[in-house]
Order: sequence, then C-alpha cells, then structure tokens
Amino acid sequence: MNSNLQKKLVNKEFVVTAECGPPRGANTAVITKKIQLLNGHVDAVNVTDNQTAIVRMSSIAASAHLVAAGMEPVMQMVVRDRNRIAIQSDIMGAYSLGIRNILCLSGDHQKFGSQPDALNVFDIDSTNLIHTVRQMRETGRDMSGYDLDQAPKMFIGAAANPFADPFEYRVLRLAKKIAAGADFIQTQCIYNMEKFKEWIKQARDIGLTEKVFILGGVTPLRSAGMARYMNQRVAGMDIPDKVIRRMEQVPKEQAPEEGVQICLETIEELKNLQGVHGVHIMAIEWEEIVGQIVQRSGLKKARG
Amino acid sequence: MITGSQKPLKEIATLVEPYERILILGCGTCVKTCFAGGEDEVAVLASALRLYFKKNYKMVAIDELTIERQCENEFIQEASFKAGQNDAILSLACGAGVQALAKRFAKSPVLPGVNTTFIGIQESPGIFTEECSGCGNCGLAVFGGICPLTRCSKKLLNGPCGGSCRGKCEIDADTDCAWQLIIDRMTLLGQLDNLATYIPPKNWSTSLSGGPRKLIREDHII
Amino acid sequence: MIQAGQQPKITVFHCLNSFRETPQLFEGCQANIVKMACSSMTQDIYLLKAFEAGADAVIVLVCPEQACRYAEGSIRAKKRVTRVKALLDEIGLDGERLSLFNTMAEESVALRHIIQTTLVKLDTIGLNPAFNHYN
Repeated sequence: MNSNLQKKLVNKEFVVTAECGPPRGANTAVITKKIQLLNGHVDAVNVTDNQTAIVRMSSIAASAHLVAAGMEPVMQMVVRDRNRIAIQSDIMGAYSLGIRNILCLSGDHQKFGSQPDALNVFDIDSTNLIHTVRQMRETGRDMSGYDLDQAPKMFIGAAANPFADPFEYRVLRLAKKIAAGADFIQTQCIYNMEKFKEWIKQARDIGLTEKVFILGGVTPLRSAGMARYMNQRVAGMDIPDKVIRRMEQVPKEQAPEEGVQICLETIEELKNLQGVHGVHIMAIEWEEIVGQIVQRSGLKKARG
Repeated sequence: MITGSQKPLKEIATLVEPYERILILGCGTCVKTCFAGGEDEVAVLASALRLYFKKNYKMVAIDELTIERQCENEFIQEASFKAGQNDAILSLACGAGVQALAKRFAKSPVLPGVNTTFIGIQESPGIFTEECSGCGNCGLAVFGGICPLTRCSKKLLNGPCGGSCRGKCEIDADTDCAWQLIIDRMTLLGQLDNLATYIPPKNWSTSLSGGPRKLIREDHII
Repeated sequence: MIQAGQQPKITVFHCLNSFRETPQLFEGCQANIVKMACSSMTQDIYLLKAFEAGADAVIVLVCPEQACRYAEGSIRAKKRVTRVKALLDEIGLDGERLSLFNTMAEESVALRHIIQTTLVKLDTIGLNPAFNHYN
C-alpha cells in the first residue's frame, strides 16, 4: 500500500479528509496558506480539478505542491477536459510526483464556468476512468495494452450522490463504480440524514459497504442565504426545510456557529453509522473552520 | 432530418451587401421541414431584404428559387441558369448543401443563410430536438433507444451523473436527463438489469474525430 | 410628420366574419382591403408584400379567439403577426406598423376606432421609410 489514506482505512481508522481549491493563477502562496490551515487536522486533502468549470491551477500541479509540503493529496480528475491520452499521461505523471490517491469524476458542465465557449471532451466517462486506473495498477498496462515502464498504483476514489435522482438507481450506480474498481467513495454533502441512512442501508443490504470505504461528505453552512442558494441552485443538493429554518431562526452573526453545530451533529451520526468509514469536510473557502470542526467532533488525534 | 435556423436578417444583409444581383436558393427537404429555408422562407427573406435595402438606399435585385435538395447534382443543376445570372448565391440549405453548391458553382460566391445545428426530429409541431450525433457505431440497442452520446450533456455511457435532478439535466431546466429517460425506458422494458453491465470507453475513430468521413458504395458506381 | 395632402396607405387583411366596410370608415387614408376565407390564411409573405407595395400600416382583423369558425385561425394569425412585427423591427421598418385586432363585423364603432388609432400612430412613426426618404 502506497497511500497513507488507504493504510488508515484498512486499519479501521475513522478518517478525515478536507478539500483545497487551487488558486486562479500561479500563486503557490495560496496553497501554502491552505496547507497551514489544514495541517495536523486531516488525513488527506482533496485537490479539485477546475471545479465548476472555472479555470484554476491544475489539480496535478497543486497536488504535487501538497506532496512537497508533506501533505497527502487526493488528486481529483474530471473527464470533462481531457481525452484518454492526456488522462493516462497525467496519471503516470501524478504518480511520479508522489501522488497516491485519485478521485475519478465526470466534472461540472462548462456551461456555467468561466469558459462556456470551450469545447468539452468527455472522451471516456468517470466509470471508465475508475476502470482505467485500476487496470494500470493491477495489470501494469495502459488502455492500449502496453506494458508500462513502472505502473502507477493509485488508491482509487469515486463520488456518490445519494441525493440526486433517480434515487432508486443510485445504489446500482454505486455498485457499478465499485465493480469497475473504486476503493473508496466520497459522498455529496449530507444535510438530509434520513435519505442518507436510507441510501447506505440499501448499499449495506447488497453487501457494498463491505467492498468499499464510504466517507460521508459534510459542508458547514455559513448563512441562511447560503443554505437556500445551495438547495435551489446546486444540482443534486438536498437541504431539508428544517435545516434551512434552523439557519434562518438564529441572528445573522450566530449563523456560522449554527452551521458548524449542524455539521457536528451530522458527523456524530456518521461516526455511529455502519458502513461509514470517515468524513469528507468540504468547507468551501472556509478552510479555517476545518480544524475547529475536527477538534470539536472529537476526531482529532495525531493526524497528517 | 437536419435542423437549422435562419441567420438574423442583419447578418444576412451584411453577407450579401457587396453584391448587386443575389439569388436566394432554398431547399425543399430538411430546412423546409424546420421552417428555415423552404420556398416560403425564401419568399419572406427576399421580401425582407428588398425592404431593408430599399430603406437603406441600396439598389439590389433579388432572385428566388427553391430546389428539392441541395445535396444532389440532379437537383443542383436546375439552378445552373439562375446561378449564372446572379453575382452571388445565398443558400438557405444546411452546411452540406452550401458546400455542394460551392463545389458545383465554383465561380459564384456561395453564402450561408442558415446556421445548421443538428440531426433531430420534430418532437411536436414547432419543436425540434437533437437526437443523433453520427458516431458511426450505433449502440442504441443497449440504451433502450435513447442515445446517451447525444442526449446526455456529458456523453456518459455509465450514467447518470450526480447532477441529475427531477429528471432534468444540470445544464438546463428544459433539458431532460437522458439517463433518467434510459432508466425509465429500460424499467418499462423489464431490462433494467442490463444497465448493471459495465460499458467500456467508446471507440471514437468511426466518428468525425477520426477525420472527415466518406461513404463509398461500389455497387452504385458505374 | 405626415405632410399636408399626403394620404397614408393602410392595408387591411380580414377574415370573412371580422370586418364589414362602412361609409367614411377610411376617411383620411387610402385603404387596400384583402379578404380571407379564414384568418389562418394570414401568412408572413402577404404581410411583407403589403409593405413592399407601399403600405404605411397593415391591420389584420380576426375573430375573437374563442369564436374562430375554424377553431385555430385567429391564434395562428396572431403568432405569425408577432413574428412579422419582430422581422419589421429587424428590417428597420418598425413593428408598430403592423397590428392585429380581434373584431366582429358588426362592431363598426370599434372598427372606426382602430383606423383612427392607426392614423394617429402613423403621425408619430411616419410613413413607410422604404418609400419615403427624409433628409
């Protein structure tokens, strides 16, 4: 096992991962700052790949900066912008730079990003990507069957969204990704615990929770406005009315604390949920709060 | 059918502006069906341009003709005489037709009056939808007759993605999620289990990605 | 804007049941009347041809929407008129020159009012600019 994240999960640790968005430029100081905020609190850090189709420093480069700084990255890779030639090339390059974890994603459509006039790629889909990374690891060959000069052996992650439609099909899709080679799953952020429990029960019932490490996603809300916005405008987001009301009923200055409170309650439930092996904290542009959440949730041990 | 929409009047006026005698050539097949370039549309455009240029003090003679199709010589040659009589041809056919005219009437400037868009169907009167992207290796049997390469915004073969919401695609509230449609159709056919099978990466070499394509039928060549 | 002695030209398209001419209805203008069996006969090309022939304004008279004898005629006419109004704006002729009204042949007062309103509008927007070039 090359990946520390993998080692901890195999050792049955309840892991904590967070997220780091690279800068909209070549400024490495931004990355350094985020590393400082997260260091010691988390087991690994996801590095996003031109998230929401907004052009940022590449995930592979930012992940390499994390490796250099002694942090363990989970390099996110979307299939929106690269064909299979570039994808395989980047996987090998990433591995050579010390990157050991990859999260395979479709990617948000470029229509709402910073370059809506770009030609998208989608040469292969995210399930094909999972399959490709596994194939490289298990057979030492690339997609064309060529014997690689040192095969990359990545710990493979995939995303799951228990809150997107069609709900009945979500667990079947999870099964498909696991069959293709997913080792761990990070879910979309959880506010509707009822639905999440239903989803994980369905996954458990067909034995999927034995085959893959599921990390529940959480995002602390900062305001009632943020809750309403995310619920209405972000595809695949489910924030129940009672959560939105909680955010609305506190005075504005206390909203962030209420958001953290809700987040801590979610994490507490996740700790006790069979089949959940960790939590993935997506504190978008609020990295400072991650340390606090880890501390207050009782998840802080020697980390990093 | 091939779908397209007529370019805005000002854009067309700018294209034909350098010429004094213009032939507007319509097509009686696909573009007629989607109301972009049939004989009715030719007549309306000719009238609109005459009014436009008259208002702007420009002398211009606009000729009109519609042929059955602009993608076959048999019909294109019917336009030979008028093509020779005019300074430029404004074609309201799809991009293929415009290019066919340019090949046959090499000495005439051939201008496009229509923005060609997609291969599609008339879903209901006045509404046309994109259905096929011409990948060259049809797998519709696997997907219950719904093409994920064309109708899924991300061309997913093992969909849906996490952005599917209430049967709609994340890019647009008016765009159906193709994978919701596929799942619904396969459920109706009692074949939902088929979707558990992993679909490997598409071989794109048969599509435009492999280079401009040609179809040759020896049995039809003398 | 209309010079003294100039009589604006108005073309009226109407379906059988929506219009009947009465004396002095067209006082102050030159009228061109086009009868259609049903308002669904309203086509883009005819409306434009009217302007090509020199009309300053075109009025389309159709039955009230629920009362079209052939069910959808007046709805179709309205959709096409909407489209041609936009086209007239693109041409630079002003979509205001074209209008559609739901009328019944007996409503002579309403019809008179429509003609008068159109003449007033022409006073503001001027005659057909493709035929009247102002320096």
